[in-house]
Amino acid sequence: MTTATATAALDLGAWIADAHARAGRRDEPSWALDQRTAAAGIARTLGFPTRDLELWRRIDFRTLEQAFPSLDPFRKSPATRNLDDLPAALLERLGGESGRIGLVIQRNTEVVLEQTAPELAKQGVIVCSLERALAQHGEHLRERLGALIEPDYDGYSAVGAALRSGGAFVYVPDGVEAAVPIRLFHWLDGVGALAAPRTVIVLGKNARATIVEEQLSDSAEGIALHLGGTEVFLGDDAKLVYGTLQEWGRHVYHYSNQRARIGRGAEVQWIQTILGGRMVKTNSYFDLNGPGAQAFVHGFMFGDGRQQFHLHTLQRHLADHCTSDLLIKGCLKDRARSIYQGLIQVAEGAQRTDAYQANRNLLLSDTARADSIPGLEILANDVRCTHGATIGSVDPEQLYYLMARGLPRTEAQRLIVEGFFAPVIDRIPLEGIRDHLRQVIQRKLG
Amino acid sequence: MSIADPKLDLREGYTEKYGFHDSDQFVFKSRRGLDREIVAQISDMKGEPAWMRDYRLKALEIFEKKPMPTWGPDLSTIDFQNIYYYVKPTSEEAKSWEDVPADMKRTFDKLGIPEAEQKFLSGVGAQYDSEVVYHKIKEHLEKQGVIFLSCDHALKEHEELFKQYFGTIIPSTDNKFAALNSAVWSGGSFIYVPKGVKVDVPLQAYFRINTKDMGQFERTLIIVDEGAFVHYVEGCTAPTYSSDSLHSAVVEIIVKPGARCRYTTIQNWSNNVYNLVTKRAVAYRDATMEWVDGNLGSKITQKYPSVYMMEPGAHGEILSIAFAGKGQHQDAGGKVIHCAPNTTSKIISKSISKDGGRAGYRGLVKVQKGAVDSRSTVNCDALILDEKSRSDTYPYMEIEEDRVSIGHEATVSKIGDEQLFYLQSRGINKEEAAAMIVSGFIEPIVKELPMEYAVEMNRLIQLQMEGSVG
Repeated sequence: MTTATATAALDLGAWIADAHARAGRRDEPSWALDQRTAAAGIARTLGFPTRDLELWRRIDFRTLEQAFPSLDPFRKSPATRNLDDLPAALLERLGGESGRIGLVIQRNTEVVLEQTAPELAKQGVIVCSLERALAQHGEHLRERLGALIEPDYDGYSAVGAALRSGGAFVYVPDGVEAAVPIRLFHWLDGVGALAAPRTVIVLGKNARATIVEEQLSDSAEGIALHLGGTEVFLGDDAKLVYGTLQEWGRHVYHYSNQRARIGRGAEVQWIQTILGGRMVKTNSYFDLNGPGAQAFVHGFMFGDGRQQFHLHTLQRHLADHCTSDLLIKGCLKDRARSIYQGLIQVAEGAQRTDAYQANRNLLLSDTARADSIPGLEILANDVRCTHGATIGSVDPEQLYYLMARGLPRTEAQRLIVEGFFAPVIDRIPLEGIRDHLRQVIQRKLG
Repeated sequence: MSIADPKLDLREGYTEKYGFHDSDQFVFKSRRGLDREIVAQISDMKGEPAWMRDYRLKALEIFEKKPMPTWGPDLSTIDFQNIYYYVKPTSEEAKSWEDVPADMKRTFDKLGIPEAEQKFLSGVGAQYDSEVVYHKIKEHLEKQGVIFLSCDHALKEHEELFKQYFGTIIPSTDNKFAALNSAVWSGGSFIYVPKGVKVDVPLQAYFRINTKDMGQFERTLIIVDEGAFVHYVEGCTAPTYSSDSLHSAVVEIIVKPGARCRYTTIQNWSNNVYNLVTKRAVAYRDATMEWVDGNLGSKITQKYPSVYMMEPGAHGEILSIAFAGKGQHQDAGGKVIHCAPNTTSKIISKSISKDGGRAGYRGLVKVQKGAVDSRSTVNCDALILDEKSRSDTYPYMEIEEDRVSIGHEATVSKIGDEQLFYLQSRGINKEEAAAMIVSGFIEPIVKELPMEYAVEMNRLIQLQMEGSVG
């Protein structure tokens, strides 16, 4: 512990005071500025998380913490007049869909492009940058921004809230089924940027939407940091399909908090993929807040090289008759490392809960390492809560079967890994993204 | 179905059966609290060699430096300075029940120890507060070279052997409570089973706390030499006092190549005992270590018996059963560490919580680099019998090899309505049906217990389930 403090030369307190002074000059409602100030105070008190915190024991952000003074939380984006000014990699992913969907593109610390397809505008759906939403739709945000991600969750959460930069806002009114998908992009240029976007998604009663959030960048030598936050509010009987695809370059540190509050009878289909970045830490919480709420969570991680992924999930059953079903699949090669830390909590009185949690890990090399820590905390008795975790290598019998039919070893292994991920990939809502993910897996397998 | 409104205390009958206490029985009692003077005093009274005295004092320093654990149950209510760390009940350890002071003998009679010794045990040790008051092993085993002594006597009579292993499996720096035990340990069993000797019937130790505000810190060291076998059983009870007692044992076991050791615990402390125990075994080539761990009593239990599989072919097994009733928190579990190739392990945990109790499993499966072809399975099942109670499962898996097969499964549920209905429709009343289902639930572990314990366990469960189904 003492050595950790000694090598982390940075005094987060002084740094955040200085950065916040600049962030606090933004043109925002006073309550939003007050939030920043409060969070900066919390960051000063908390400092960087220490290794004695259960969620920080297994991943080491010290290299990042020493590099903090070199990070720029205000990095502007190059001027963007139209799509052609965007990086080619991003355009390729957008795949000519731009005119027909809801779209928000963030580059570095600011949103450079926002568009609501005419169909969506007609329905009263709002898709815009958080900045615009603060100015024009403050009434939707005041009770929601920061309501689910407590700034004192840990030091990084506080820094993110104090230096909030960019992010999107999606609002689907009661009874409306958003006519087209909504896509949110995050791009980081080169090294040195610190982006802290906060996204708020609100679905009214019986509303429906499909939203895909993608994070990507080129690879570079050095360090960049993404401090993300997403807060999702689902009204009664609403239904949301939400996918996140994280594909940062190898220089990006990723820390994010995702929270969904799911109302009575509402349902979320949540797909999470973690592929890129150098060190990745994500905390995804699902609050089943009203009777009959449902959460279906599917995730996959594929690490290679020296990537380190830490995924923490919490299925919080706060009401009766709720269902949550979670499956996280992880595959690791080279010297990659993954930590899955999951918990099902059933509150007192949350009877008739049906909760499931599974973590399956496939290790492709003897230098990879996987930790799996699924947990249950159950305070009601009329429940069915189950979890399972497995860690193993490619089944030699499966490999033998395929090779006996003439497939080379690498091809056979690729098929097995694809098959391993297939149940998760099949749930991703957009065909283009499914194809893309299959390619990424191929590329990663080499 | 509602199993709410239980009319019976989870451990009804405890006060009458085990919760009695004798008038204070001691020839020496240290003053309350803990410091260098007390530790030195314990060592002096025992007439220990200088190295042990130094070891204790060093451990005290470690204990004082180490912070309380930041995870797990709330231990902030333990007042370390209000405890008697050493209460010497008699001046000599007896070899025959006749020599045990009448009051103490009556206590052990009530608990059925002498009777059990005659019927089905190879040897018995009985500890009363800080010291072992009775110790005896069957002659034919003694002739074969089996050593079964209190740890204090072992230190006197077999100092070299003792010193060779003591503190090697659980160093005093291991955790705060291991440090505490290392500083003030007293009593416990020492077992050495020579090469190839199979101890056919179990050895048993019985631990009893009598004095109020007492801390019991027994130390157990078991060495099973190559190809040997031993089954050691320990049981514990204490009077029901309104203030809290502390029990913090350290158990170290060495299972040499080809040997097998089974260690069975039936922990039935009264509800005012903090039970914070460190238990660890190392198993060498083709050796087998089995922990059978039953936790019924205590206020808070934190105990995770562990097996380190050091050489190829070693096997570790942990069967854990935990009951938490009113005011109880059972934080039980187990750890298996695969340090060598071709090692296998199995953990089965069953926990039941009732009347606001909290039962949990906390465990670790670790596969170290190089431990290829390791296999491990973990199964945790929990039953929650009413809406006030709580169940937790915290399994940790840390895997550093790819050629392994590791699986974990856990389920938390209530007694199935359909199972209940099935039994009721066959004319069995609801209470009995529920008790049958619970018996069936823990059966995989109970069947591993020696017969008389299995009977006792089932009887306890019957008792606990009576009148609990509304």
